[in-house]
Amino acid sequence: MGSLFLLGLIVFWDTARTELPAFNLTVSPKVFPFAIAILLMALSALLFINILRGDTAIPEGLEAGDPVEKSDYKTFALVLASLFAFLLLIERAGFIIAASITFFGITVAFDNKKHLRAAVFGTLFITVIYFSFTHFLHVQLPAGILKGI
Amino acid sequence: MNSFNSLIDGFASALTLSNLGFGLLGTFLGTLVGVLPGIGPALAIALLLPITYTVSPASALIMFAAIYYGAMYGGSTTSILLNTPGESGSVITALEGNKMARNGRAGAALATAAIGSFVAGTIATLILAFTAPTIADLAIKVGAADYVALMLVAFTTVSSLLGASQIRGFISLAVGLVLGLVGADLQSGLSRLTFGNQAAVEGIETVPVIVSIFALGEALYIASRFKELGWNIIPMKGKALMTRDDWKRSWKPWLRGTALGFPLGVIPAGGSEVPTFLSYSVEKKLSKNPEEFGHGAIEGVAGPEAANNANAAGALVPLLALGLPTSATAAVILVAFQTYQIQPGPTLFLTNGALIWTLIASLFIGNTLLLVLNLPLVRVWVQLLKVPRPYLFAGIVTFAMLGAYALNTSTFDVEVAIAIGIVGFLFRRFGMPITPLILGLILGPNLELQFRRALQISAGDYGTLWASPLSKVLYAVLLLALFTPIITRVMKKVRKDAHA
Repeated sequence: MGSLFLLGLIVFWDTARTELPAFNLTVSPKVFPFAIAILLMALSALLFINILRGDTAIPEGLEAGDPVEKSDYKTFALVLASLFAFLLLIERAGFIIAASITFFGITVAFDNKKHLRAAVFGTLFITVIYFSFTHFLHVQLPAGILKGI
Repeated sequence: MNSFNSLIDGFASALTLSNLGFGLLGTFLGTLVGVLPGIGPALAIALLLPITYTVSPASALIMFAAIYYGAMYGGSTTSILLNTPGESGSVITALEGNKMARNGRAGAALATAAIGSFVAGTIATLILAFTAPTIADLAIKVGAADYVALMLVAFTTVSSLLGASQIRGFISLAVGLVLGLVGADLQSGLSRLTFGNQAAVEGIETVPVIVSIFALGEALYIASRFKELGWNIIPMKGKALMTRDDWKRSWKPWLRGTALGFPLGVIPAGGSEVPTFLSYSVEKKLSKNPEEFGHGAIEGVAGPEAANNANAAGALVPLLALGLPTSATAAVILVAFQTYQIQPGPTLFLTNGALIWTLIASLFIGNTLLLVLNLPLVRVWVQLLKVPRPYLFAGIVTFAMLGAYALNTSTFDVEVAIAIGIVGFLFRRFGMPITPLILGLILGPNLELQFRRALQISAGDYGTLWASPLSKVLYAVLLLALFTPIITRVMKKVRKDAHA
């Protein structure tokens, strides 16, 4: 039931989002978004009808009728938090710090018990990546607060 | 023999020391990333895109060709030893190859997969070299309206043939089209769906989208189903060698697989799923010992693996000749071209002829390098599977974030990547296929462009869209692709009701 509700929510969200292009009418750069908006809304409605008729969503890799396990929100939230950490830190603290924290956060999320080892390994790995990108591939990455070291 | 001469020139420029080095690096990286479970060729290439940001186009394309084939080789290794296919094309390999590995025949399964891929790849690339220019010649005569029809056909087939639910396929496509809309309109400069965000005016970069929808989506999905880590690696005994009997049983499936895979790659038939399944059932039918199928029949690995590789090369024909990707992987390669401001299509062989022939030549070289490198090194690759899974995911995710950020050194791309990662997770959770989204994102703007061009030529007369004979044929195909799944479903239901 939870998944059904969530899917309904996505459908709703999809439809709500497509209202914006629906404001754009007639003139040529607006024809295409309008067509897509109609398509999306029609499809959402169709999917909603199908769901009401019992066509529930099946997670990838499972066959119809397989039991759908309950989602593990703790791990999920930790991974998501690690992603946001990268976003927030990349320009403030620099690539090495941001990426190391993301790396470490994900190992923690996936239940790695050896925290110290993961932290050391992750930081080393990220540092190697950083230098091979900036020095050998000439891709600029922010040095951040470690600048000059 | 024009193609032949150009190809020789291509070899000449591909075989320089530095290009060969890039090729070698590509095969290495491709296999490395491809071996990692859950990573198919599309994601492997997308993940490795940042590496090529700063090298010259020729070297980058050579590296791609090598990564492309390398990732497929790596993927089949994982399918056989771990039973975790990285993409739909290796599902069959996982099925039959894993059974072989369980019977202690991992070496033979790996060998037939590798050699079969090599044979299929070489033959298919040869056909590619001689057909793509011809198709491109024809394609120059194809008008804007025909392109509109062609793209609509590609959309329809990919959306309705992949996955279990047609509606979900089309929804995925529509979401991709919406993403493609974001940014300034190419012709009028009007900002669409940017919500006042300056960075969004440039449009949504395809690279972060592809990387994050696969990599972040996968990581989040695995996190949400997280139970225990670790998997069953089947130990490999002996060398990756085939007995005389194995050879005898393999060579025909290789050739048949190639014959099935290549043409189905050229037409937009929805990726490698169809040809590999077809090849499997053909081999099962033709086999003298069909009872072995499902318990580790070598033909069941040889045929589909060859079909998968030939399919991949076949998909390059519409990509190079028409600029039309027919699979997720081809779409990623299209993006790779676009990062170098190269637009694949009919004029490609004229404007960038030398480059394309270098690419085709490097496909041959990459394929050979892989065979030479991978069979002896397969044990080394297997070691990779022992990397603890938390590290694996952490590495993939950080690399994905790096790729998203490094493209334009902008945090907007990182925001997009995270958002798309969540979309990817939701798609996975609710059984929506991902390929249509990627196709919609990449081809959507192109479709709009051709659509307007056609209408400008006809001064607003919509009849022009189905005026030419070619477009009429294409729309017929479109209707067929749209309604065949529906009709078969109704037929099945009627039959079921009749039985009840």
